[in-house]
Amino acid sequence: METLNCNRDRTMAYQITDGCVNCWACEPLCPSQAIQAAKPHFVIDAAQCTECVGDYAEPQCASICPIEGAILDALGAPVNPPGSLTGIPPQRIAEAMAEIRAR
Amino acid sequence: MAQHVTTLHPERATAGGCSASGCGSKPDKLAHLPEAIRAKVKDHPCFSEEAHHHYARMHVAVAPACNIQCHYCNRKYDCSNESRPGVVSELLTPEQAVKKTLAVAATIPQMTVLGIAGPGDPLANPERTLATFRELSAKAPDIKLCVSTNGLALPELVDAICEHNIDHVTITINSIDPEIGAQIHPWIFWKNRRIKGIKAARILIEQQQKGLEMLAERGVLVKVNSVMIPGVNDQHLKEVSRVVKAKGAFLHNVMPLIAEPEHGTFYGLMGQRGPSHDELQALQDACAGDMAMMRHCRQCRADAVGMLGEDRGAEFTQDKIDTMEIDYAAAMERRAAVHAEIEAKRQAQRAAPPQTPNQAFVSVASIPRRRAELPSRSASRPLRIAVASSGGGLINQHFGHAREFLVYEADEQQVRFVGTRRVEAYCSGGDTCGEAETALAGTLRALDGCEAVLCSKIGIEPWDALEAAGIAPNGEHAMEPIEDAVAAVYAELSANGQPGERIADAALSA
Repeated sequence: METLNCNRDRTMAYQITDGCVNCWACEPLCPSQAIQAAKPHFVIDAAQCTECVGDYAEPQCASICPIEGAILDALGAPVNPPGSLTGIPPQRIAEAMAEIRAR
Repeated sequence: MAQHVTTLHPERATAGGCSASGCGSKPDKLAHLPEAIRAKVKDHPCFSEEAHHHYARMHVAVAPACNIQCHYCNRKYDCSNESRPGVVSELLTPEQAVKKTLAVAATIPQMTVLGIAGPGDPLANPERTLATFRELSAKAPDIKLCVSTNGLALPELVDAICEHNIDHVTITINSIDPEIGAQIHPWIFWKNRRIKGIKAARILIEQQQKGLEMLAERGVLVKVNSVMIPGVNDQHLKEVSRVVKAKGAFLHNVMPLIAEPEHGTFYGLMGQRGPSHDELQALQDACAGDMAMMRHCRQCRADAVGMLGEDRGAEFTQDKIDTMEIDYAAAMERRAAVHAEIEAKRQAQRAAPPQTPNQAFVSVASIPRRRAELPSRSASRPLRIAVASSGGGLINQHFGHAREFLVYEADEQQVRFVGTRRVEAYCSGGDTCGEAETALAGTLRALDGCEAVLCSKIGIEPWDALEAAGIAPNGEHAMEPIEDAVAAVYAELSANGQPGERIADAALSA
């Protein structure tokens, strides 16, 4: 918790996790050019990210990102939590993965 | 052009004249189209069923971003064993895509068409997509350019599409009713916001319809793709077909939903089933009353290369392309010669009388109308006959080499193409892709409902297995034109008693 608070105090910034599939959708939308292609996945430059405040009502990267959990807010929470984009209940994904592994 | 497109009469191909009377020559299935459109589609494998036996296509994966979510798509997927839309192994820059296209065109001279189809939505990546088209229209003027899109960004890009000489556009339209659309597309990204539910579906549908109308007005050829999702939009697609035809689409391609849990899609994980072969064919037939239907779609990957049904993408990876020296001017000459050869062959095939005594068989696009006109003397049901072909419109493939079969339906009046059956699992390798099963068992299942299978050769083991499954193996029509051979086999099967009984016996003794 301390770390998260520390993060928030330091900067208002979103982050990209390793759930990112490198689809490029966010990169051209960023009003601050804070997003860069990188390996293994895109990154947000925390020093440049403004969370789109002043430019858009909603953070652009998180509004187009198709992958649940791939973008975290300044508190480290997923902006698009599991189930929010695909409509697939998280429990169903877990069950299906277990079924497939059991084959 | 728009008027031409909106007044198409697919039924004309079947109404009287040479095509209906069996005068010995094969009808041109595009005969009902105005000349300008026929010229555009006659060597396009995706827009002309006949052309797909002769010509190849390729997709370049330059467009990764998407602006909507579909319940049959999972953006996390990338498997080289998968063959379905949206799946891709190697994302290309426009420069890489241009080089790859030139390399493929030089290596596979039958390649006539370059499409951009993803893996996201090409028009959600307008710079990358248009840069690729711009370069190619300058460097490879003999290649047709096409794009497929979900339509959300289409209206604002119609003029750019026209500027880049893209004269074939495919729009995926799964519904024209927002309540149904919302069950298929959970969200869109629109005017800098993510919009969900019925509101999102309404915007998507409006944009698609507007884009379709704008393209038709400008004389761009539009095909509409729809994914058939049983219980969701299956009945509704008949209405979609009527409406898109009225607005100027010239071809409707109803494709089966692909949904398996291992694909990780909403439909796959939630147990939504895809349609059976019969359900798909019944819907295509129902839509055919209003619209020219496409039945030879292979639902290929966004980086597919080669003839429909084959994928030679592995020959053209970046490292291989980097080592290729391409003299495109020379390649263009060779391509022109190969195309002329193909055209001469097609002409000869069309002109040749069928090699069977029965001259009454013709191939036409739409059957129900004909049936109604016929005297009721014919009570025998149509037979489905599968064919192994590696191209050229001939029965020229070994049973064991076939990765797909073309399925034809024959009755006493005609032979018509009704669809394809893949015989490799969508995923055939790796520990996460599909269940283990023998290839033969899968093939038998894929050929379910077919009375016979025609191929150039067949081994003893599959011969016995086919017979046991009630499907007559037949290697006697090797190198014959497909439709003539199907007609001949239909005649043999009919003459040997009731179709569907022990046809294998007939084929064996023949």
